[in-house]
Amino acid sequence: MSSAQIEIQLIASIVAVACAIPGTFLVLRKMAMISDAISHSILPGIVVGFFITQDLNSPLLILLAALTGIITVVLVEYIQKTGLVKEDTAIGLVFPALFSIGVILIAKNANDVHLDVDAVLLGELAFAPFDRLLTGGTDVGPKSLWVVGSILIVTVTLLILFFKELKVSTFDKGLAASLGFSPAIIHYGLMSISSVTTVGAFDAVGAILVVALMIAPAAAAYLLTTDLKKMLALAIIFGIFSAVFGYWVAHWLDASIAGSITTVLGLVFLLVYLFAPSKGIIAVMYRERQQQTEVSLLTFLLHLKNHDELEERHVNHLNEHINWQKVRAKTVLDLAQKNNMITIEKNIVSLTKKGNEFTSKAINYIMTNEDTQIEDMKDDFFLFRG
Amino acid sequence: MSKIAVKVDDLTVAYNYKPVLWDIDLEIPEGVLMAIVGPNGAGKSTLIKSILGILKPIAGSVSIYGKPYTKQRQLVAYVPQKGSVDWDFPTTALDVVLMGTYGSLGWIKRPGQKEKKAALEALEKVGMLAFKGRQISQLSGGQQQRIFLARALVQNASIYFMDEPFQGVDATTEIAIINILKELRKAGKTVIVVHHDLQTVPEYFDWVTFLNVKKIATGPVKDIFNDDNLTKTYGINYKVSIQE
Ligand SMILES: Nc1ncnc2c1ncn2[C@@H]1O[C@H](COP(=O)(O)OP(=O)(O)OP(=O)(O)O)[C@@H](O)[C@H]1O
Ligand SMILES: [Mg+2]
Repeated sequence: MSSAQIEIQLIASIVAVACAIPGTFLVLRKMAMISDAISHSILPGIVVGFFITQDLNSPLLILLAALTGIITVVLVEYIQKTGLVKEDTAIGLVFPALFSIGVILIAKNANDVHLDVDAVLLGELAFAPFDRLLTGGTDVGPKSLWVVGSILIVTVTLLILFFKELKVSTFDKGLAASLGFSPAIIHYGLMSISSVTTVGAFDAVGAILVVALMIAPAAAAYLLTTDLKKMLALAIIFGIFSAVFGYWVAHWLDASIAGSITTVLGLVFLLVYLFAPSKGIIAVMYRERQQQTEVSLLTFLLHLKNHDELEERHVNHLNEHINWQKVRAKTVLDLAQKNNMITIEKNIVSLTKKGNEFTSKAINYIMTNEDTQIEDMKDDFFLFRG
Repeated sequence: MSKIAVKVDDLTVAYNYKPVLWDIDLEIPEGVLMAIVGPNGAGKSTLIKSILGILKPIAGSVSIYGKPYTKQRQLVAYVPQKGSVDWDFPTTALDVVLMGTYGSLGWIKRPGQKEKKAALEALEKVGMLAFKGRQISQLSGGQQQRIFLARALVQNASIYFMDEPFQGVDATTEIAIINILKELRKAGKTVIVVHHDLQTVPEYFDWVTFLNVKKIATGPVKDIFNDDNLTKTYGINYKVSIQE
């Protein structure tokens, strides 16, 4: 690997982490759309900042553009408060307006601005290593590495300091307010960080990848855990993985790096969406099937409990009387035998002691919905997991 | 004789310029277990939200032990009627209760062993210790209610506001909750509960406020919980108090 290759992957990974952190909270706050809005509406801020500083990596430009991001959020909220439109409509009103101001500004000044809309939206990671930062004549690395690195340090510091405040205000605004943690301050803090990250990263990776890096890893992580810290960690891992793997995909296919990373992000999300152990599509389908079988099992056990007569407990009778197809009857019998709930002797089925207890408990639960006694059954049976 | 915990003066609150609470004067003495009763839409939740500064009144003022609420936040705990929380948030029951301790920690400081112990004790008190690791959306409505009660308990406040804590809980839980509330009163705390079941008012509470847009009456249950006030509050001829 050449040093340029390493630098590109490093920049992409740092951006991924810097995006995953605010992204996790944006996803939890159901504000994914707002990051899209910010990423577009910062354009006029970037253009004006560029007129003033003539440097896409200048901190002043980043602050100016981030300010446009905040203005977007304020405008969206203002329009929403009028009660005339919903939030997504408000977002849809604000960001095209700001974005088009940016486009007009660029077009009007095309001669002296070294900036085009494509570059803002798509960025070009491949060129990032060529723009070096020199201090006193020595090369200390690519400029964008320093920019996104600084942003990451600020983001991580803020996360560590204000984790509890972010958590409580995201979970329960009312409580946060009554405990003295102003939800407004935290909200605008998060918006500021999201804006700064977007602006700082757009030059290297482009606005679209920034949005994808904020939302996709967090959304995938959300499907995998019920613990906020783990969700953050997973989002970061997914982000870094997509950044690095996406880079190599681009390398192999000779394609756009930002485009490949975005594609990998999409695939990661898709895989998680399908295969996540409890919230994934397949798990949900499996669980439904399993519950169906368990209901059948219970019906069957109850039948055994209520009938002592031998002919009622003959294996063949199950097919006729309970009216199940052979496959179904077999699945249920297997499940019951596996759990030592029944014994079969000469094709006559009998409940074991365990089976008997299980049936009483289960029926009791279904009638009373008191779930303290069945805690131990939850691990084995989906039916009792609510 | 006793101190005034909450004082409301000439409070008028409106939603979109339509007043829903008119000129309320109210003094809640320290150490009472008080019910707020009134029909749906009477403004009970609105009253509590205004006392807690969640809503801005168009006139009047509120004080908690003589000072504005913003200066006295630490003294007050609140269990809302419908938790405005995100049920799918990745967090456990224990974690939710732990959030109650954040107020006394202030900004930046994180909860430690002491806070965790308090949270576990509160869970134990409301009979939810077995569920401490459960994601909150996987709890039943009544269990969720108990978690929020536990969260209020760890806030270790002096004044508790609860907006219909018995909504959707079974009889056993209701008794468990009222016993906890009575314990709080015994410890000298002031507890204010929005309550709908008029039958149980005399048994549960020692103080009552009748509310329907205006304040109808407030005082000890034994003095003012009568058909006259009930009729004034609920409009129709109400006969409930003397059924036994
Ligand atoms: N956000 C709101 N915007 C406009 N009007 C509101 C709002 N919230 C409540 N109201 C109105 O204010 C009045 C008082 O509402 P409030 O929620 O305080 O009633 P409540 O006494 O708590 O009723 P309930 O017993 O149903 O909980 C009602 O007429 C209600 O329709
Ligand atoms: Mg109410």
